[in-house]
Amino acid sequence: MNLYKISLTAFLLASAVSINKAFAQAGQPYIHDPSTIAESNGKYFTFGTGGGGLISEDGWSWHGGAERPGGGAAPDVIKIGDRYLVIYGATGGGLGGGHNGRILTMWNKSLDPKSPDFKYTEPIEVASSDGLEDCDAIDPGVLLDPTDGRMWLSYGTYFGNIRLIELDPKTGERVKGNKELDIAIDCEATDLIYRDGYYYLLGTHGTCCDGVNSTYNIVCGRSKKVTGPYIDNVGRDMKNGGGKMVIAAGKRVCGPGHFGRTIIDEGVEIMSCHFEADFDRSGRSVLGIRPLLWRNGWPVAGESFKEGTYQIASERRGYSLELAVDFVRMNQERAAWHRIDLNEPLKQIPNQTLDEVKQTWPSGNIDVRAGDYMYRPHQHWTIVAVPEAGGYLSNPYFAIKISGTDRALASTKDMEVTTEEKFTGADNQLWRIEQLTDGTFRIMPKAIPGKDGVNTEYCLYSVADSTPTLAKYDFKSDNSKWNFISAE
Amino acid sequence: MKKILIPVLAVLASTAVRAQNPIITNQFTADPTARVFNGRLYLFPSHDIISPVEPKKKWFSMADYHMFSSTDLTEWTDHGIILSQEQVPWGKPDGYSMWAPDCVEKDGKYYFFFPDAPKEGRGFNIGVAIANNLFWPKFEPQQKPIEGVMGIDPCVLQTSKGESYLFWGGGGLVVAKMSDDLLSIEGKPQRIANLPEGFKEGPFAFERNGKFYLTYPWVREKDGTECLAYAMSDNPMGPYEYKGLIMKESKTGCWTNHHSIVEFNNQWYLFYHHNDYSPSFDKNRSVCVDSLFFNADGTIQEVIPTLRGVGVSDARKPVQIDRYSEIGGGASIDYLDKKNLFLGWKTLFPSAGAWVRYNKVNMKSSCAKNVCLRMKSSGKAVFTLSLGGFKTDLAVESTGDKWEDVNIETRTLPEGISDMTLTLKSADAPVEVDWVSLTNDPRPVYFKKPAEAKSTPDADGFIRRWSILEPEKMDIRSNVVFTDSYLKETFAKHIVPMKKLPADKQTTVVSGQKLMWHHLESNSYNNKLFRFSTMLGKPEYGVFFNVVTVINCAEDIDNVRLAVGSNGASQWLLNNSEILTLTGDRRMVKDDGTSKRVSLKKGANILRGMIINGPGMSDFCVRFIDESGNPITNFTISNK
Repeated sequence: MNLYKISLTAFLLASAVSINKAFAQAGQPYIHDPSTIAESNGKYFTFGTGGGGLISEDGWSWHGGAERPGGGAAPDVIKIGDRYLVIYGATGGGLGGGHNGRILTMWNKSLDPKSPDFKYTEPIEVASSDGLEDCDAIDPGVLLDPTDGRMWLSYGTYFGNIRLIELDPKTGERVKGNKELDIAIDCEATDLIYRDGYYYLLGTHGTCCDGVNSTYNIVCGRSKKVTGPYIDNVGRDMKNGGGKMVIAAGKRVCGPGHFGRTIIDEGVEIMSCHFEADFDRSGRSVLGIRPLLWRNGWPVAGESFKEGTYQIASERRGYSLELAVDFVRMNQERAAWHRIDLNEPLKQIPNQTLDEVKQTWPSGNIDVRAGDYMYRPHQHWTIVAVPEAGGYLSNPYFAIKISGTDRALASTKDMEVTTEEKFTGADNQLWRIEQLTDGTFRIMPKAIPGKDGVNTEYCLYSVADSTPTLAKYDFKSDNSKWNFISAE
Repeated sequence: MKKILIPVLAVLASTAVRAQNPIITNQFTADPTARVFNGRLYLFPSHDIISPVEPKKKWFSMADYHMFSSTDLTEWTDHGIILSQEQVPWGKPDGYSMWAPDCVEKDGKYYFFFPDAPKEGRGFNIGVAIANNLFWPKFEPQQKPIEGVMGIDPCVLQTSKGESYLFWGGGGLVVAKMSDDLLSIEGKPQRIANLPEGFKEGPFAFERNGKFYLTYPWVREKDGTECLAYAMSDNPMGPYEYKGLIMKESKTGCWTNHHSIVEFNNQWYLFYHHNDYSPSFDKNRSVCVDSLFFNADGTIQEVIPTLRGVGVSDARKPVQIDRYSEIGGGASIDYLDKKNLFLGWKTLFPSAGAWVRYNKVNMKSSCAKNVCLRMKSSGKAVFTLSLGGFKTDLAVESTGDKWEDVNIETRTLPEGISDMTLTLKSADAPVEVDWVSLTNDPRPVYFKKPAEAKSTPDADGFIRRWSILEPEKMDIRSNVVFTDSYLKETFAKHIVPMKKLPADKQTTVVSGQKLMWHHLESNSYNNKLFRFSTMLGKPEYGVFFNVVTVINCAEDIDNVRLAVGSNGASQWLLNNSEILTLTGDRRMVKDDGTSKRVSLKKGANILRGMIINGPGMSDFCVRFIDESGNPITNFTISNK
């Protein structure tokens, strides 16, 4: 139903004021009901309700400009071979008048309006609701089953049931004779994903379109079969209203809806959604991207990375990234433990400060190593975003500096890591930080001196317990993984 | 209950109407002006009513305007009132003279032209009201009517050169050039001359292939009624040359006709009116539409009014075959209920051989195997249903001379668009059919009448047997008002007092609304109140429900909890004590909330519930569970 969505998005897209906030997608990410993020022509695309959508060159900064004919509501997109299938719900009654929705699919060789290949095919209707039945055929979510190549589509709203149909991935048409199946109630904006032997149905609960008071949230159930039943963590069928929370409101945003999953690399996944209201952007509806974590077989949204001072501990041994400098002993008045005077008042021992140790550090580059964490200045890293350097899906690039100094972690041309005395903003001093599906992080230099282009391959890597280096990212190895533990 | 704010308001302000001719089935409509804006067809008719002031049923009475729209000319959305007489600064607030309007777009704004009786003086003036959009139209009327224009039936012609002309009726047909702001006329109004004699009004002018068409209702014979005629010219202001008829006079004597002509998706249409829903009083009219065709020389072919009208009908929905394309073999149509003509018509099949054809139904499913006939008969019958070349026989039993939805399983029905014919092949008695729909499966039946005095909970413990009171209509536009304190107050205020358990069909008056109790057994674990309302033609949104049932226990059952899911908020009382309230904007989720531990006593326990909802599909599921969460099933359920 749903021209309300159209007007809302038209309103959102019409606005051109940019209020930058770190750790929310930069630019003008105003959208409602975003499709799963798709990559085309080296750019990222997401389509929303109405006719348009957002484009991003780097995944971090978003602006309007994506084009989708047909209007209607809440599209989804999937790449099949060298083509994109764009699926959207056209509302029959329109203007809220009825529930005779229609789902249409159309192909395009490119999603980029600037590409010579950019031309949509005629839309084909694959499902419809007649306005009387317990279903409103809008809000499609598509899955190409990686196990057998079959394509499935879920759709529907609070007006009755969520339904599942099968499409032909070659034509984008409905499989002949395929009868729709009811798989859930009381949700909308569903999406299907597959992982590790389970199909997951994600649905949006709560209420949209009420700004900062919107209660939209995303829940899920899972099934061994794509046709369901989709059961939640307490054994409740989504046909009985079941669902386990994936994401609700967060810090200064609320109303996540319209889940989309993007796999960036093995073990590196993000979920996209809209937040009904961004409290730092006049309460507008914005694109949200969060790391997608998997806990005990259930998807959970991670949090956006926060600036701060951290211990950076390897997943390999738990050693912490540190400057390769002298260990400076701390002073303490000591008595043998069996001679302690119980009547003596307790004293606080101050932290070792940067000033106490800094003069022992050489100038110029200082190497890094990993050592057992001792809560010392050479082990504390302050991480700040460098918004002007752009970003990637989920975050801006960061500077990683020894706390209280301008000394920055940097990649070197011989594929090692070091620290440089001054932060210059050069690409080898910029780091991409992504939370992995198991909750750990990978840390990658934006560029490696002597190598062309943006690095998406090499990460900070424990080649030995105490030796960090750069090596190819491998999710299967704990050598690729790090944890950030607040040192504040 | 998604779609709060704009959506919800839109849902409540607009209703879907679906029909052939007449196309608007929930009210009288006349003088239709159809315009296409942004790929959507908008209809701006007058709104006939029976005059609330004397003399009643004597003359035209129109107090406001509704706007309708459609993308396929079969589904119509009623956007509600867009302007009413008391809003017009210069108009008589009780003039009931909001006659034939027009609406055009210029520079992104919508200009609505309408006649009205002025506060002072006699006759009619023509006013303009402006809206910035039609999605959420708010037409602001100008302070004064258009100066220098006395008359009715405004029509604005916007030419391909970007000029605008105002045509109206006032002692004949008049035209004047309009200023660029569409708020005034320039120069002297000019009477259209040289047309054949006779009363004329309701001009509708349009441009096609460089020619200008002036079309108008015309009384061509002395003491005659109106036909639709037209003239053509090379210039918007004429001179116009009479060309012929577009539509002949009504066969049943409806005195007026009034029309517009529009091209939509590469087809031209004639919108006109006729008094189908008011055969005995022709000042209450209804809008119809039929296709219109041009000859190669630009002249217009006469349009024969049909019942079938235009558009392709979704075969899954009730296809009103009484709006036939062709009928024969003795079949005929009649009103379903002569006391409420808006209920529409039925087709009478008196004996074998009677048939009716309805062109262009679209079967969108590739696995439809069910034909549903809404029918009435007192004997067995066999119909033949054909869809293009596909034929199947439908054998039906007697319905005991009552209206029933009769489902017949067939082999797979053909997908796509075809003409549908229903022929009575053999019959023990005459058969009447209201509509036909073709679906995958029979539509779900949500409730049934309880067959036995007592029921048992289902295997999961859900209580399906209830006495349900028809909903009290509440002014709730969205569930955002559902704060805990609002709910506490509202539940306390709207609970229906009950000295003894309600009998089936017992009525009670709540807030001035006469409501009836229904003893029902739900066919599903969740009791679908929304469909209960649909079934009874009662309000579906913005509603307050009272339900009650009796839990009969053979012994005391201690330490149980009432587990409920409801859409939306609900409150539950066991033996008159409140035991659970589900607050906020809730959904129907199994075991969404439970009461504290309670006891069911030996004998009868009265379980009451109240469910309140704004724009959602109201329903609820209720069961008792034990300490381990397992369902309690060792009791019976009754209405008494």
